Order: sequence, then C-alpha cells, then structure tokens
Amino acid sequence: MRRGRLTLLAVIAAGAVAGCGSSSSSTTSATGAAATSSASSSSSTTASSGSSSGSKSLALIQGTKADNFYVTMGCGAKSEAAKLGYSINVQGPADFSAPEQIPIVDAVTAQHPGAVLIAPTDTHALIAPMQQMKSAGIKVIQVDTTVSDPSIAVASISSNNVEGGAKAADEMAKLIGGKGSVIVMNEQAGVSTTEARIQGFLQEIKKYPGIKPLATQYVGDNPAKAAQAITAVYAAHPDLAGVFATNVLVAQGVDTGLQTAHAASKIKIIGYDADPTQVADLKSGVVEALIAQEPYQEGVDGVEAAVNALTGKPAQSTLTGLAVLTRSNLASMDQYVYKSSC
Amino acid sequence: MSSVQNEPPEQAAVSAPPRPAAERSESPTLSEQVSATLFSATSPLWIFLALVVIVAVFSVLKPSAFLSSFDIKTIFINAAVVMMLSVGMTFVIITAGIDLSVGSVLVISGVLAAKVMIAAGGGVAHAAGAGWGAILAGVAVGLIVGVAWGLINGSLIALAGLPPLIVTLGTFGMALGLADVITSGVDVAGIPTKLNSTIGSGQVGPIPWLVLIAAVVTIVCGLVLHLTRFGRYTYAIGSNPEAARRAGINVNLHLIKVYALAGLLSGLGGVLSLAYFTTTTISGHTTDNLTAIAAVVIGGTSLFGGRGTMFGTVVGVFIPVVLASGLVIMSVQSFWQQVVIGAILILAVYFDQLRRRARLRP
Repeated sequence: MRRGRLTLLAVIAAGAVAGCGSSSSSTTSATGAAATSSASSSSSTTASSGSSSGSKSLALIQGTKADNFYVTMGCGAKSEAAKLGYSINVQGPADFSAPEQIPIVDAVTAQHPGAVLIAPTDTHALIAPMQQMKSAGIKVIQVDTTVSDPSIAVASISSNNVEGGAKAADEMAKLIGGKGSVIVMNEQAGVSTTEARIQGFLQEIKKYPGIKPLATQYVGDNPAKAAQAITAVYAAHPDLAGVFATNVLVAQGVDTGLQTAHAASKIKIIGYDADPTQVADLKSGVVEALIAQEPYQEGVDGVEAAVNALTGKPAQSTLTGLAVLTRSNLASMDQYVYKSSC
Repeated sequence: MSSVQNEPPEQAAVSAPPRPAAERSESPTLSEQVSATLFSATSPLWIFLALVVIVAVFSVLKPSAFLSSFDIKTIFINAAVVMMLSVGMTFVIITAGIDLSVGSVLVISGVLAAKVMIAAGGGVAHAAGAGWGAILAGVAVGLIVGVAWGLINGSLIALAGLPPLIVTLGTFGMALGLADVITSGVDVAGIPTKLNSTIGSGQVGPIPWLVLIAAVVTIVCGLVLHLTRFGRYTYAIGSNPEAARRAGINVNLHLIKVYALAGLLSGLGGVLSLAYFTTTTISGHTTDNLTAIAAVVIGGTSLFGGRGTMFGTVVGVFIPVVLASGLVIMSVQSFWQQVVIGAILILAVYFDQLRRRARLRP
C-alpha cells in the first residue's frame, strides 16, 4: 500500500546507499540487448516454461492491487521493462496482507523469473518467502516497503517518508500563518511508513513556535471514525487550525466532520499521496495540499535496478522524489498524479 | 469420543449415514444413477474431477514451473492453515450450523500464543532465542483460547438458542476486536525462531511440518466424522435435530462439542499461522471464514446440514490454492481465481439443491 510498512531504519539506510538516482537508460538498454542474446542461449534449459521464466523476464509483486499507488508503480515498471526488452508479470493481492501476498510470492518463485520487484506487506512474514526467492537464484528488489532483513534484496527503491512529513509541516505552517493548534490524523498505529511521516511532521513543526501540535489520533481506514474524532478534537481545541491526514479516507472523513462543525473553511487539511480522488478533493477545496510520491518512478527505477542486477552491474537503491501539490501548482505537476490504469 | 454416553438402541436407525432417498425409494434410471454417483454428497466426484482438470491444464501449459517440487510443496503449505479452519467448518456445517468466527479466533489465538511465548521467553529482547518450554506454553495457550471461543459459540447456540449466524458474527467481531485491543493493532513479532525453523518452515524428510500436521489432523478428523459415534451424531443432528433428540442424543452437548472442535482447530490454525508467518498477521484473516465456508460447500457439504464429506472439503480447499498458484505462473491476473471459485461455489450449491429436490420428490 502506498503507506507501506517500511521500517524507518531501512528508509534511512536506503537513503544512505542511494546514489544520485537511476543510471541513464541508454546504457541499460544496450546491456539489455546484450542480455537478450545471452539469455536466448541459456534459456534452452527452461524453454518449456516459455517466456515467463528465465533471465529475460521480470515480475512485480505489489502490496495490493486495490491502490492507485501500486497501479501507477506497475505502469512505470511495465513501460520500462518494455523499453529494455523484458517481459514483466505484474501480480498483487486484493488486500494489503501477508497471508494473501505470500502464495503469490511462492508462485512467482516457481515461475522463476530473472528478477522480482516486490513491495513486502509485512516486515517479518515476507522474509522467508523472499529468502526462498533469493535462494532460487532470483534477484530481489524491494519497492516502496522493505523487510527487516536487509540481506535479501539487491536494491531498495522508495521515497523518504520522514522528509514527506517534514514537507507537510512546512506547508502547514505556510497555510495557517504560523500559529494555532495542529493535529495528525493517522489510520492505524504501528505502520512504520506512516509513523515515519508523523515523526517527520512533528519534528519539523517544532521549528514554528506559534504552532502547537496536539496528540496524534488513530482512526483506522475509516472516514466515519475520522469525522467523529475531528469534531471531538475541534470541540476541545477551538484554536485548531490545521490537520495532517495520512491517507485519503482519513482526509475525507476529517473534511466531513469539519463541514458538520461549520469549521471547514478555517481549518486547513493536508493529505498524503495523490490518487485521482485526492486530486479531485484538492481541486474542490476539501484539502489544501497533497504530499505526492512518485510511484511511476519507483517502478522505472525498480526495473532498472533489476536489469542492472541481471546484467552484472551494480543495482542501485534510489530515493524517489516527493512534491507538494497545491491548487495553484497542480497544472504543472501532472507527473505526480497517480493513475488508476496505464 | 469415549466420553459420550452409552449409545441408545434407536441410535443405529438414526445415525445411519444419510443417503439420497432416491437410491432407496425409487428404481432409478441409469442416468439418474450416474448423476447420483457423480453429484451425491457422499461422493463429491465431480468437484474432484474439476480439481484434476485444473491441475492437468496447468501441468500441460507450464510443466516446469507448476509441477516443480517447489511449487507443489508451497501449494500444500499455503493450503495448511485454511485446511484447519475448513475441517472444523465441515463438522459445523454438517450440523446445519455456520461459524463466521474462525478467522478471528485464529487471530486472537495466535496473538495470545505469541504474547505467552514472548513473556515466557524472557521478553521481546530474548524471546527469539527461547526454548521449547516457552513455545509449548504458547502453543497450549493458543489451543485453549481457540477451544474457549468455541465453547462460547457452542453454548450460546445450543443453550441460549441463538442463531449460529448471529452468535458467530458477534464473536467474529469480538475476537478480532480484542486482538486489536491487546496489541493496539500492531502485529506481535519476535516469537522464538525455533518455532519457525521447525513447525513454520522445517521439514520431516521431504514433507514440511505444516503439511504433515495439517494432513494428520485432517485424516483424524475425517475418521472421526465418518467412522465414530461423534461423527454419526453430527450427521444425525444436521439431518433432523428433533429426531436426534428423541433418539436420545444430547443435542445441546454435542453442538457445544462441535463448535469447541471448530474453535480448537482455529486455535491450531493460529499457532501454525504464527509459526509460518513469524508474526500475527492480524489484518490478514477477515475473509478466512468465507474461504473456509466456500471450501466446505464446494466440497459437497450441504448448508442445510446432514450431509458432507471430509474428502470433499480437502478438494474444496485445494481448488482455490491451486488456481491462485497456477494463474500467477501463467502470468494471468490472479483475480480470475475469485471469479472461478465463485462460479464453482454456485454450481456446488445448485447440485445440492438438485439433490434435495430429488429427495423430496414423491
């Protein structure tokens, strides 16, 4: 899921090893072509399983299919794989859950592609299936999320969630004029990616002495609960000026609650991620700003890392970009809007 | 089953394995005989043939991947936990009941088992290296928690006379909610590595522990269902609870036992799941109940009770797992699995209705 379950450490580690981004695609496609010829000679052993196995094939295992973040990532991976002359099998569970994802991981291992891009749905549960994948000789690249064992993947591609939170804090300070109470409304506790965003937000907000952060509320993936919680918070803190909502449903619920309280116009909401619903919310004034990731680029970088690993070049971990979308800059930020289909 | 009271003389008549009435009261034509054999609950042959066809298609299309020992092994592993829930569900549905709580009971059993293992292993920092003492304590707690929820279900259904659908819908929410309360919604990790390296991912010869345990439990429960008095009572209650009561069966007690068994197997599922995933996967089991019910019904067990087989359930568990694996290997959208399973489910219930109508025909 877009919110993912990265450990904060892994993000920082990925950031530390990340170079200045992806290598140029012209060199990669040249080696891709070289790999074509070598693969065709070696693929005789696996010829019976067709084009879906062997070193010319890749797979992307999404955290869940039901999320435009991963749909967009799939689009990026497919387009880059096609450019480099690789086939890619994109699969994902219906829900963001390890019990649903692991059978897919196992089946992909049986299919035996050359390299696999995976967004693990659990930091622990996916270690063994991914280890089996690695033992089978498949190169593993983590996208968006990671497992707690850093030895499995040859590269990890993600955005910096702490930085995303900090960007939200700066934008919030701008929106509310540097004073008033702000609150983080989060889906659920223990999701390390959103925890990293909150950490980044709360750290950055300390730079603005006029702003008072309230205790973070956990409302689940549930607009009704978010609406209920925010009206209670507003009743207790009439100086509430801004809300940082960590996902789309929470942001919508917060807006509903504030509408009922007739406070929607004076309280600013910042959301995270930029799927089409959220962008529509931005246009219609439900939220004032969105912190957008670049899932398309994560897919592209993931495929590049995979191809590098398969062709004997160093597979680089990269940090993909983040952007603050507002109504005024939205027109120029098209590449940040997530897709619901390729 | 030795704890059950002495068998009353009428028992033999009541507890005879149910057969389609058509076989006894009418002189069936050949085609009726064939369809009775194919579609009867006691011989869920058509669904087994469906599984064979699915396996054959994948084997022909992708032999090197689908028939690899790795893939076969992972298919069995991925079926193991759902198998435990479905075996318990088979007993419940044969009594004409339903148990929606199995996935949640699995979760809370796993959560408490993990908590106990970590506590007995000396806290989060040391539990990973904990020995068998801590592990067994956790396993025992997991199983006891499962039985306890089963007893709650059974007692409310049998003694308070509440509908199984409502009771287990209630405990479905309660068990999951309590698991969330206990853990604040955060999965419990850091269980003893010994549990994962043996039961979770270890093998006995070529057979994974998970598969071995699931197979033994399934076979034992199948024997209990088909060969023992406990099983005959289960069928009898599902066929006609009033007749069973008049025949001297303690229907209430037996229902409580059946739901307790389903709870026990859910608890076992929780322990196996914990061993396999090394974490509690709290959010990953909300549709396990429907998966198990679908497997049981696809396997030819009647939702109206009184008929069904363990073999059918085994086949019903494997069809979705095999489809999921095969479709991914074929690079087909794995969502087709849900479409196919839905169609097979409807077909299975349709055949069950045909059987019932045939039986009701004068």
